[in-house]
Formats: sequence, C-alpha cells, structure tokens
Amino acid sequence: MPQGGPKSQTILVVGGGIAGITAAIEAAETGYDVVLLEKSPSLGGRVTKFNRYFPKLCHPTCGLEINYQRIKKNPRVKLMTMCEVTGIAGAKGDYTVSVKRTPRFVNDKCTACGDCKDVSDTAVANAYNYGLDKVKGAYLPHEHAFPMRYVIAPEAIAAGEGDKLKAACKYGAIEPDQKEETFDLNAGAIIWTTGWKPYDAAKLDTYAYNESPDIINNVEMERLAAHDGPTGGKILRPSDNEPAKKVALIQCAGSRDNNHLAYCSRICCLGSLKHAAYVREQYEDAQVDIYYIDIRAHDKLEAFHAKIKNDPQVHFIKSKPGHIKIGEDGRPLVCGERTIDREIYEEPYDLVVLATGMQPSAVKGYKPEVGVMEDEYGFLVPKANGAADGEGIFSAGVASGPLDVSMSVQSATAAALRAIQAVRGS
Amino acid sequence: MTKPAPNTSEKYDLGFANWVYENVNGGDKLGLCMQCGVCSGSCPIGEQMDHGPRKLFMMIRAGMKDEVLSSNTMWNCTSCYRCVVRCPRSVPVTYILQDLAAKSVELGYAKPNENSKFSNSFWWSAKTFGRTDERLVTAKYYFSFGVVEGVKRGLDNLKIAWGMIKTGRMHLTMPHQIKDKAGLKAILAKAAEIEERESKS
Repeated sequence: MPQGGPKSQTILVVGGGIAGITAAIEAAETGYDVVLLEKSPSLGGRVTKFNRYFPKLCHPTCGLEINYQRIKKNPRVKLMTMCEVTGIAGAKGDYTVSVKRTPRFVNDKCTACGDCKDVSDTAVANAYNYGLDKVKGAYLPHEHAFPMRYVIAPEAIAAGEGDKLKAACKYGAIEPDQKEETFDLNAGAIIWTTGWKPYDAAKLDTYAYNESPDIINNVEMERLAAHDGPTGGKILRPSDNEPAKKVALIQCAGSRDNNHLAYCSRICCLGSLKHAAYVREQYEDAQVDIYYIDIRAHDKLEAFHAKIKNDPQVHFIKSKPGHIKIGEDGRPLVCGERTIDREIYEEPYDLVVLATGMQPSAVKGYKPEVGVMEDEYGFLVPKANGAADGEGIFSAGVASGPLDVSMSVQSATAAALRAIQAVRGS
Repeated sequence: MTKPAPNTSEKYDLGFANWVYENVNGGDKLGLCMQCGVCSGSCPIGEQMDHGPRKLFMMIRAGMKDEVLSSNTMWNCTSCYRCVVRCPRSVPVTYILQDLAAKSVELGYAKPNENSKFSNSFWWSAKTFGRTDERLVTAKYYFSFGVVEGVKRGLDNLKIAWGMIKTGRMHLTMPHQIKDKAGLKAILAKAAEIEERESKS
C-alpha cells in the first residue's frame, strides 16, 4: 500500500442481487478483497425469482450458477448472508460500517440433507414465491440457493421446535440459541446495490388487487410460470387452480402515474411480452390481451416484440384501463376505453396481471448519506459533483435507477472500477 | 357513435389548441395529456358522450374547433371528478370541460338543449334559495320546453314524484332556504367580480 494511502483496501458490497454479485466478482478477480453482504438467506435477489430472463430467456440458474462458482473459488470474496447495514462512519479509505446479522439458526456444517424439514410442523409463507404458498419452518430458500444451506424461520423457534430440529440434525448444524448480533466492518470503499421491490399493487385501489386472487402482479406471474413455483410451472387461476386461458396483462400499473410512480420502470413492457409467451406456450387456445399506453420494449429485443405481435391470439389494446371490477361469476372485469376506436369495454378474464414497476428498496431502511444522494423517487444517484466529493461510496443496479439485468451488470462493473480507484487512492 | 376525423391532408392548425391553452381554465395543463384513456374509461356516463374527454382533447390538438365547441361531452359531465382523481398526468379534466362549456355558450356554439336547460333551472334554485328544491327545479326545467311539454313531462313522472314525497325526498310546502341569503348573494357577487377581473387580465 502506498505511503499515506487508504487504511483499508477492502471493498464492501451491500446487496447480493445480480448487480452486487457482479461488482463483488469484478473487484475480487482484479485482486481486491471484497465483503459481500446480503440481507436474505441466499444470493441472487430478484433475478433468482424469475422464471426466465432477458436477453436470452434463460432460466436464472444460467448466469447465476457460474457467478456462484466464481465466488466459491475466489478466496478474496467473503460472503455474509442475513446481514444489513445500519450505519456508516468515517471517510474514503477508512469507513467503519455497522452491520446487523439476523440469526439463521443454522451454521456452515449444514449439508442441505433436509432432515430438519421432515420433523418441522410449522408452516411459514414462502418468500421465494412471494407468499403464494407455504414452506416448513425449516426450509431451503429454493432449489438453487447459494449458499446451499437451510434456514430456520423465527416462527419455528418461537413455536418451541428448536430442540426437536437440533436433535434431527446428524451434522450438528442447528443452533437454536443464535441471537441477533451487531458488529463493525472496516472498508475502503462501498458499493450500494440494494435493488428494488415491486410497487405495492394494493395501492392501486381502482385495480382491485386485494379483491380477487386472480388479480396478481408481474413478479407473481413469474412464479406461476416457474417449474419450482407454487403450481409447478402450470399457469393456473389462483382462485380454483383451473387453467388461465384468457389473460389480461396491464401495463403501467402504477407507473408513469403522478399518483404512484411518476417514472417508467423500463422493464415491464418486455416482461409482459414474455408473460404472453409463457401463456401461449402452455395453452394453444389461450387469448392474451395486453393493455398499454405505448409499448416501450427497449434494448435490442425488437425481434421478440415483433414475434409476439405476430401471434394472432395476442391482442395489443391501446388503453390504460380505468378500473377492474369483480363480475357476478367472480371473474375480474377489466373496464376502460379503447383509444383507437373509442369503444367502452368491460371484459372478463381468468387472470389479470398488473405490470407494476420497480421501486428502490432503499426507500425504507438505512441508506448512505454521503457519496450518493437520494433522488425524488428514492433511487441513489451520484452527487452532482460525482466522485469529486471525495467519498468512496457508489451505487449500482436498480438501487441507482430503473435498469434491466444487462444494464445493472454494466453499472455494477462501472461501480467496481470506481471503488477500485477509490481504494487505490488514485 | 359519431366519428369526426381531422383532415389529414392539411397541416394541423395549432391556433385553436393555443387558444385553449391560454383561455380555458386548466387548458395550460392539456399539453400533459398522453392519451391513455383513463378519463374516458373511468367516466360513469362516458357512453352518453359523443367523444369523451380523451378524444375531445385530441380534437383540440387537431384544431377541430367547431366539432369541439359543439360537442355534448362537456354538457354531459356530472363533475364527479373520477377522471381528475385517476389521471396519471394530473390534468384537471373536469375544470377544462366546465370552462369549455362556458366558452361554447360565449361563442354561440351551445344551442339550448336538455342539459343547458336543466343547468339553468338548477342554478336558478341554488342562487335564489341557497339550496336545490327538487320540485321547483323539476317544474322550471319541464316548463322550459313550453306549457304542453311541461304538463306532459309532469304527468309522465307523477309516480316518481309521489315516491319521492313519500320518502321525504321532495316536499310540497315552502321551499327550504338557507338562513344567510344576503351572505350567499355577497359571495356570488364577489365571484362574479373576480371572474370579470380575471377575464380581462
């Protein structure tokens, strides 16, 4: 380390989604020590919950798996799951970061054999499937979780299952006495990649999200189509598990709307085109209606847009629906005005998918106060004077703006380079 | 539904759109409209309108002055404000329609019709008593079509009237009035004065 240079050359990455994973690997493979913090029990963030993702419509294991291997094989990356940042003090080259760790109740001796799951009698909402189904109190986050370790839900410990689960484990991996702990980390630079959450569809009070199980949002649609989702990959109506053959996809559900998110999230149009493909692949006689203001299929994916447009059973209806009612037969009725021919419609569907936008996770909880600043929507953007403010804190991925996967990866690589420059003191 | 279309062989005349932006209450916000259709799709009586607000706004941009000012859209608006609440671009749809109605009267486009006659009767009751008297509003409205038509409409609706009387929704004695009629008069005079001043500035 050069004389008078930074005290710490460690780069801290906060958030283990596609952007955080990328930033951590890029920095580590360039020869820097990286600590990667993740709030949930496993890496992969939102991407891991997709059925397939752009640009090549791969399953998320494709892409994530190779990154997990790179992390596993690189001694410079230290991964810490179930950890959250609660404070940052110090300056570039010498940050002290306060971290809170939530107990997993399982140590690294776990082999993911599942014996604990077999004896657990509690059931908790399955976060991986957005609560659409339940898992046992002792559970593997999902089948391609990294790290491949079980988690014991606090509900199972509260129900007094701790000793029973501990006794069931042949490897001594279960520690029911773990408590929440706090500790400090030292880092020279910080990359903030805390990602996003879907805008709360319950706030779209005219779209009746809470009034029918057959009105879902776009991330739930990904789970309905996924082989490890609540329906085993069959797109079924949540109300009665019948095939959903007449499906409405509603664009800009709370996006580009001054009453909700004023911005365009950029990913939802292509996301819904993908959902149309999911439905059409499963049912030959399916009808998909896409309600839109204008289709903003960005990136180099015009061919995919054109392919869906050529499907005679997918209809593009230029209209933002006014409201959704529940019909007498219990089916959702989408109501509005078709703007091309000014016909007022009231159309029943098996399944309605609200294409909700991305809201930065950082709107809630701790966020850094220097280096980056919060814009009017809660995204953390570089300060007007950029790196000139002398801080070593950078944002990337959707924490920094509404980006798709490839743009997140690009921004993460850029942030890794800036962090390296910060800890090199040049 | 009627389907007037702009003459696409000619360049759009922006004169009318600019006039609306500058002279109609809320018109300056019209540029924000992105033609999503939430206003017309949400309107509880949208099917009774010839064009609906979204299309009317597009017609303003297309310079279709005569079609816009003789439309029934603004006259059918009940001011429920559903479109204003839902508009993703915060366009004050109701205000614009209300002022377009006023402008269509001012410029001689609005012919006396059901809506304007009812509107006149309603306003007469509101400003005279400070309240709407169902019986007098209805009578004034019916007889504005002439004595014969007034009697005919009255007889046709006798059953409804009787039902309203029985349930206390209409009464036969003196019209209900507010206490401070002088206060109301002063408020209306002030409003007229402000309108006069603003229309000049």
